[in-house]
Order: sequence, then C-alpha cells, then structure tokens
Amino acid sequence: MKSIRLVMILGVFLSVFLISTSLCAADTVVIGLQGPITGPWAYEGQMAKQSCEIAAELINSKGGILGGKMVELRVVDDAGEPKTGALAAQKLVGQKDVVASISTYGSSVCEPASNIYEKFKKVNIGYGVTAVRLTQRDFNYFFRTCGRDDSQGRFFAEAVPKKFGAKRIAIMHDNTAFGKGLAEDTKRALQPMIDAGSVEIVDYVAITPGEKDFRVVLTNLREAKPDVWYFTGYYAEAALLVTQAREIGITCPFVGGNAAINDEFVKIAGIEVAKNCYMTNEPLPADLPYPEAKEFLDAYKAKFGDIPSSPWPIYAADALNIIAYAIDKSGSTDSSELAEFLRSQVDGVPGITGPIGFTEQGDREGVPFYLYVVDESGKIVVSK
Amino acid sequence: MHVFLEQLINGLTIGSFYALIALGYSMVYGVLKLINFAHGDFFTLGSYLGYTVLVFGSAVITTHFGLWGGLILAMTVAAVSLALVGLIVERLAYRPVYAAGRLPAVVSALGASIVLQNAIMVIWGPRFQAYPSKLIPNVHLQFGDIHITLLQIIILVMSFILMGILYFIVQKTTFGAAIRATALDRETASLMGININKVIFFIFTLGPALGAITGIMVGMYYRQISFTMGWNYGLKAFTASVLGGIGNIPGAMLGGLILGVLEMLGGAYISAAWKDVFVFLILILVLIFRPTGILGEKLAEKV
Repeated sequence: MKSIRLVMILGVFLSVFLISTSLCAADTVVIGLQGPITGPWAYEGQMAKQSCEIAAELINSKGGILGGKMVELRVVDDAGEPKTGALAAQKLVGQKDVVASISTYGSSVCEPASNIYEKFKKVNIGYGVTAVRLTQRDFNYFFRTCGRDDSQGRFFAEAVPKKFGAKRIAIMHDNTAFGKGLAEDTKRALQPMIDAGSVEIVDYVAITPGEKDFRVVLTNLREAKPDVWYFTGYYAEAALLVTQAREIGITCPFVGGNAAINDEFVKIAGIEVAKNCYMTNEPLPADLPYPEAKEFLDAYKAKFGDIPSSPWPIYAADALNIIAYAIDKSGSTDSSELAEFLRSQVDGVPGITGPIGFTEQGDREGVPFYLYVVDESGKIVVSK
Repeated sequence: MHVFLEQLINGLTIGSFYALIALGYSMVYGVLKLINFAHGDFFTLGSYLGYTVLVFGSAVITTHFGLWGGLILAMTVAAVSLALVGLIVERLAYRPVYAAGRLPAVVSALGASIVLQNAIMVIWGPRFQAYPSKLIPNVHLQFGDIHITLLQIIILVMSFILMGILYFIVQKTTFGAAIRATALDRETASLMGININKVIFFIFTLGPALGAITGIMVGMYYRQISFTMGWNYGLKAFTASVLGGIGNIPGAMLGGLILGVLEMLGGAYISAAWKDVFVFLILILVLIFRPTGILGEKLAEKV
C-alpha cells in the first residue's frame, strides 16, 4: 500500500516537472550553468550565476536568439566537489531542453563532469578550469573560455622580453605544483627564442616556500646579471625576495606570476620596494577595454551594486554569450552541430573578455593576459 | 671573494638570531634538563608585541621618541612582557610537573607551545603581518662589491653586546657561578645554599626576554612575521644549542653562529635547496663523533 502511494506521488511530481519543462521549451532556449553555488568557492559560483543572468538579460533585451526566443538560464549546484559535480552534470544532461552547459569552476570538478557531458553528447564550456590536461583528452564537446595554466608562460615569453628589451632572463619558482609548472611552461615558451639566440636564461632556480632568508639564492641571481627576473610563486615569498634583492643590489625589473603580487605584497614589501614591480595576470574585469565589457559591467553594477571581484565569472558570461551566438548563427540546438560550429566557425567573435575563438581541442584561442604594475601609490594597475 | 664575504655576514646575522634563541633553550636545559618547546613561541610573541607597539604607537613614537627611541621602546615592552609570560608559563605548565619526571615536562612544554601559538593566531590573525617600513632604519651600504645593510650591522652589534653581557653574568659573577653549579648538579647546589628558585626565576625571565628582542630583530630584518615562525626558528636554535653543547652558554652562542654561517655558505656553494639537509648532516656528524656538542663537557656517569 505504502509503496503504491510513493509511486503515485513520484509520478505526480514527474509529470508536473515534465509538463513545466516542456511548456518552457516552446519559446525559450535553455542553457545550463553548473557551478559552486555553495561550498568553499561559493562566492565564485554566485558571481558566475549573476554574470550569466546579466549576459542572458542583455541578449534577451536585444530580442533574444533564433528570431525571438529568450535565453533561459538553469543553474545546478556542484558545491565545488568532483563527486557532486558528476551528479550535477547528470542532472543537466537528463533534462532534454537544456541545449548546452556552462561547466564549471575548478579543474578537478570539471574533469568528471565533462566525462558525463561527453558521454551524453552535450556541449559544455568551462569558465574557471585551467588544467592543461582537460583539453588533451580528444573530447568533442568540451570547450573553455578561460586560459590554460601554460598560457601565462606563453604570455611572458611574448610580452616581457620585448617590453624590457631583455636578453638575460632569470626564472625562479617555489617548487609547488603551480609555481614549478608555470616556470617550466615559461621556459618551454622561451625555447624558440633561446634557440634563435635572442634571449638567454641565465638563472633557473627554486626556493623553499616558508623560508625567510633568500639572500643565498639572490646573491647567485645577482652574479648572473639578469635583465629581468620572473618569480612564479606566491606573494609572501615574493615580498621577501624583492625586499632582500634590492638590499643586496639587484636592480633589474621584477616580474611576478599571477599569485605573486596583491595588496598584501605591497603591504609587506612597502611601497618604496613594491612600486614598479610587475606581474603577469588575467585581466581583471574593470581593466577590459572592450565595449562589450563596458556594457556588461554597467548592467552588472546596476543590478548587484559592484562589479565581479574575481576574473573568472566574466568567462562564464562569455561562455553563455558564445553558446547563444552559436545557436543563433547555426540555427540549431543540436549539440553535435553546435560543437562543430564552435570549433570551425567561431573565430574572433567579440566577447566581454576579448575576441573569442576555439582551437581543435576546445581551448580558447588568444587568451588575454596583461602585464600589471604597482604604481607610485601602491595600486596595482595595467602597465602601459 | 665579495660573494663569500657577503654570505659570511648574512650567515653571521641569521646565526646571531639562532644564537640568541639557543641561549634560552640552553639555559633552561642546563638547569632543569627540560627542552622548553615553548621557547620558539616566546620569540614569536615578542615579535608580535614589538610589532603592536610600533604599529599602534607609530604616531606617538615618531613625534616623541624618533626612530631609535621607538625601537628601544618596542624592545623594552616586548622583553618585559615576555619575562612575565615566561614566569607564568613556568609556574603553570612546568612547576606542577617537575616532580613527575622529564617526559611529562616535555609534553607539557609542547602543550604550552600549542597554546601560545594559537593564542597568537587568534589575537593577531592567521595572515602575515608586516613591520612598518617607515619605523625601521633602511640604509644600504656598499663597500666595493659588497652590499650590506645598516640594519645587519645594528643586529650584529646588538647581538654581540647581549651575548657578551650574558656571558659575563654567567661566567664572571657569583650568581653566574650559582647558575653553573645548578646546571652541574641541582641537588648538591641546593645543599650548598644556592637558592634554586632564584636561578629558575632568572632563566625564565632572561631567556624569554632575549627571545623577544630577537623576535623584534627578525621582524625588522625580514619585515614579515607569522604566527608559525617560532617553530622553524625554535628547531634551528635547538639544533644550534645541541651543536654547541646543550646546557653550555658559550656553546649555544658558538653553535648558533656556526649554524647560520654553515647554512648560508652551504646554500651558496653547494645548493640552496639542500642547505637544511647540509645543516642537519653536520649536526648528525657532530653528534656521532662528539655527542656532547662542540663545547659540551664530558659528563661523568652518576653512580
């Protein structure tokens, strides 16, 4: 008796659910967002949700896509956990009206989720997932609007030697997975220039994080006479390194990776030492020069009071934009056709974070990175 | 050559930090045969108190005392406070367990260390704190190719003065003789009319006070302090006191300086990543071939 009642209740729920979703399907296009709405990265997930809402509103206010259909966002929480991430992906692929999914923040969460999207042939675009391996699995339906861990190294190789007219480069890392990875990527990116003889790595060295005295390593660095010095670790060591380096007479420009310079760095090193220290970083939302960015940030600010404080949510907004663009231009909501379209037809489409295009593997082409500098007042601004 | 001299000065600077902290370990060990694990945290606490005086008193200091006055004020406040903290810890954590033997005392010391470290974290927060750069002398000196800072010279001079004073007290005064006698044999010393409690009072005020002053010097030197730094310095200083001969005051000084110089030169000429390995290897070798440390006297077996 009891079990029959349970089945009936479930049946009612299911039919209500199916009716409601099928009713919506008539005049809207549903795009899923899987993100850490709760859990340790909840603020990232919340901002991504808000960013996608704004992006959808902007599209809808301009008449929607496919000749008047509205974009609808459906949010599923993955709590920033790999296991929940897989469940969240299951939930989204189970809903037939979800055309494509924006998924997610955190490489370890994205990995199992994207397996499921791949299996069920659903386009999924990561927005805060930078692990290189994600796009080396020959997946057909996985894309990302953010860069990879090695894009930063490539940016360094392209921009920094040119900016400082530097021939002699010193690279220092902190033996962490992130720091060492970035240092190695940078070295790899510099390799063609080294082979051509235009630059030279004069010192490549590791420090121990948590230490306070780096004078030994720095003295060797000074004797190597670099023109520019790249440190790929974190701010606590970066502040000590620069302070001690200036004390022992290293005057060459300091460039930090995207974890090396922040307000704490300026506080510990003091403005005298911190000013004119550079760093390679993803552009912060406020520094994006594109008209799309201005429109988006104005709308975001009007609704939520302030612009997103982290670089990642706007990549989620751009994921929504590019999905909407692909649906509109290809005239299809079939994931296989969309994946094909994203791969071959999308090239230099203007987005909030700059022109969007994808490689064969689904990586973003031409990921934006900027060189930032600490100015006279201790603020971190884009280097001109 | 200039690199060698620079590294030597750098090594002596951090060596004098180790030496000053090692003195605290060594004095307590000498008298009580107790490894005072909380000593590293006395050092951290002193550093934070000095930081607080400098940051919150910065307006008063700059108008009334000037740069040097401010530093002396910070050191005095930190040293006096830490002398008090040292006494309190001795009374609460060590005295009740003396009678129970050495192992409970060591566990109690570890407990005191955890309590102090967490108290510092709760009061000042888990993030790094930065010594204000304006309240610290910041002059770079260059002799030929040798770069050193005025601060390094100040630290070296101050450390040697402090060590000199302590050496004088322990080796040349009557009270020092009482301390050494207590270190040799507590029971006999008390039978000879030495007030053991007075000796314990002395080592538990002076040791933490020295640690506090060292904490401020480390804060000035690196400008960055964190609530966990006591552990690392404590470990190195403990190593230094074992290297020099634990319980032996000049040994602690010598051990600290040797450790600092070895660390810097090993880092410079062998490998920076391996410098700690190198340091502890030397320690192991010394312990194998001279178990009592460099200046440690051979102890007669008690029968």
